[in-house]
Amino acid sequence: MAAIAKPLSRRHAEEHEDPREHLMHDPLPRGKMNEMVMEAMHETGWKFWVATGFLTLVVLGALVYAWYYLIMEGLGVAGVNRPVFWGIFLVNVVFWIGISHAGTFISAILRVLKVESRRPFTRAAELMTTFGLVQAGFSVFMHMGRVWLTYWMFPIPNERMLWPDFHSPLMWDLMAITTYLLSSTMYLFLPLIPDLAMARDRTEGGWRKTFYKILALGFRGTEGEWKNLTTAMNIFAFAIIPVMFSVHTIVSWDFAMASRPGWSSTVFGPYFVIGALHSGMAAVAIVLFLLRNTMKHYKYFIRPEHFDTIGMLMFMVSMAWAYFYFNDYIVPWYGGDVWAKLFQEWAEKGPHWYLWYIMLFCNIVVPWSILWNRKWRRTPWLLAIAGILINVGMWLERYIIIPEGLTINRMPFTWRVYVPGIEIALTIGLFALFFLLYMLASRLIPLIPVWEVQEGQEAHLIRKIGKAEISTLSDME
Amino acid sequence: MSESITMLAMFEDLDPTSEGIDKLYELGLGDDEMNVISGIPIKHTILGRPSAITYVSRIGMFGAILGMFLGLFFIYGIPYLYPLLVGGQPIYPVPQGIIITFEMTMLGLMGFSFIGMFVDSGFPSYTPKEYTPEISDGRVAILFSCPVADQKKFVDALTKAGAHSVEPAEARHL
Repeated sequence: MAAIAKPLSRRHAEEHEDPREHLMHDPLPRGKMNEMVMEAMHETGWKFWVATGFLTLVVLGALVYAWYYLIMEGLGVAGVNRPVFWGIFLVNVVFWIGISHAGTFISAILRVLKVESRRPFTRAAELMTTFGLVQAGFSVFMHMGRVWLTYWMFPIPNERMLWPDFHSPLMWDLMAITTYLLSSTMYLFLPLIPDLAMARDRTEGGWRKTFYKILALGFRGTEGEWKNLTTAMNIFAFAIIPVMFSVHTIVSWDFAMASRPGWSSTVFGPYFVIGALHSGMAAVAIVLFLLRNTMKHYKYFIRPEHFDTIGMLMFMVSMAWAYFYFNDYIVPWYGGDVWAKLFQEWAEKGPHWYLWYIMLFCNIVVPWSILWNRKWRRTPWLLAIAGILINVGMWLERYIIIPEGLTINRMPFTWRVYVPGIEIALTIGLFALFFLLYMLASRLIPLIPVWEVQEGQEAHLIRKIGKAEISTLSDME
Repeated sequence: MSESITMLAMFEDLDPTSEGIDKLYELGLGDDEMNVISGIPIKHTILGRPSAITYVSRIGMFGAILGMFLGLFFIYGIPYLYPLLVGGQPIYPVPQGIIITFEMTMLGLMGFSFIGMFVDSGFPSYTPKEYTPEISDGRVAILFSCPVADQKKFVDALTKAGAHSVEPAEARHL
């Protein structure tokens, strides 16, 4: 006899849902959507200017002045010294490159896989990539100390014959990050062109008109222009994914290529990539929450369904991160190498033992407690809090790997606990700069790709099958 | 040869646009005598139009090859010109070569695809063009040329197909 399904006393949450709650099934005329996005850019309240002013002051004080002081006084004002020559500057490099990864991941992979819910937030994520890489670049220059000698890294002939050594992982890093910064900026710009043309059409005179006119390049939307644009976007979507993976793998090799306990690990490449996605996804959740709550009309474009998508990705990535972390932990632990063991004990029981536990709490306990629940995933503020905590955890993970890892080496007489100096001010300055750049960009460029939203809405239909209304998608691309 | 005029027909939706294109074909216009301008990309088969030619992927591929050779020069050419001996490492290693060559190839591919999009589309171009801002507000336009003598015939046919307006196109600064 066939099993009889017992009816549930109450329906599943998704059964209550009207398909029209989804952005793709709740279309507005294109002109209206354009108007909403333009209004959000132009209408700026006093709170925005107060926040901008505050962030500008922080950037001037904690970044510009502190960096000037670092340059004038030398790296001695930072906490880096034997044996910890790589301090918070390098933690910030890895952290910000990680943040930059989610932009590409979300935009390119979801575009390739045709995940429809990506449409309204791809640009917000792509912008994060570009600005994240700016912070990472600044951190590298801070770490260099003598920034005016940066050109020594470039492959140009000079009278001292200081050709860069392309056999060094640091040079691979320079090449990979440069490639990623350039390609992600181009990838941000391509789908922006039609929206800049829209902004140009809806702006009457003034510097904004000139700004949009120049950046829109004369785009009209002819068949040829669309064909060229979509072809280029497709090439980027496919090509930038392996570049994204290569960048953080190469970042991990900066550490893994050294024969140090805690660093020399063959799993570091994928472990770093997953770590980057972990912090990056969480950052997307924070940015979407801020945009939704601060930009006029954005509640129409960014809906609980989008937080649900991000939340599911965050959950999946947090499980992958836990797997790789465990993998990286258990092999040296089981192997019994005395130095690797010492490093693990240092992290767990050393003077900064609490950082290790906070890291595990933020990176595993928080996402696993919150993100399994659909209702919680669809609660923007909760997802934003999870995002903040995950980023705290991921920053600490890099801190444990870099300065904590360098504290323990095979020469115990050199062991010294790292105490950061000016790095703290510069780190605060970098975070302020990231938010400041983002706020300014939110007033200058349409953060919602309106044409992509309209394209998606044209392709979606609700069809009644039996007693249910089902969302259907036409292949219009 | 008869004098011709450029016209801009505006449509609210895709179905009448497709019908309008059929009417233009019926009236004897060829593929290259009309162009569809829209606020979103429209698959050519929806409108019954031929697929537009693009050279972006070819230009991108050229860039990838160029980038690959640049990468090979970095990793093998530079040590050949200025050998740098580090701890007994080989001067021409293959694994490091793969990394640098990969990065430069991808940069070449994407950089040239980006440039290719500019070149193939004629960007940037700030000269006056036949266009109306209604297009970015969701309307679809057919830009076509027809003999002045037949203008009324074309206007009637497109209006019957559902055009919102059919007027002589005016080149304007965007």
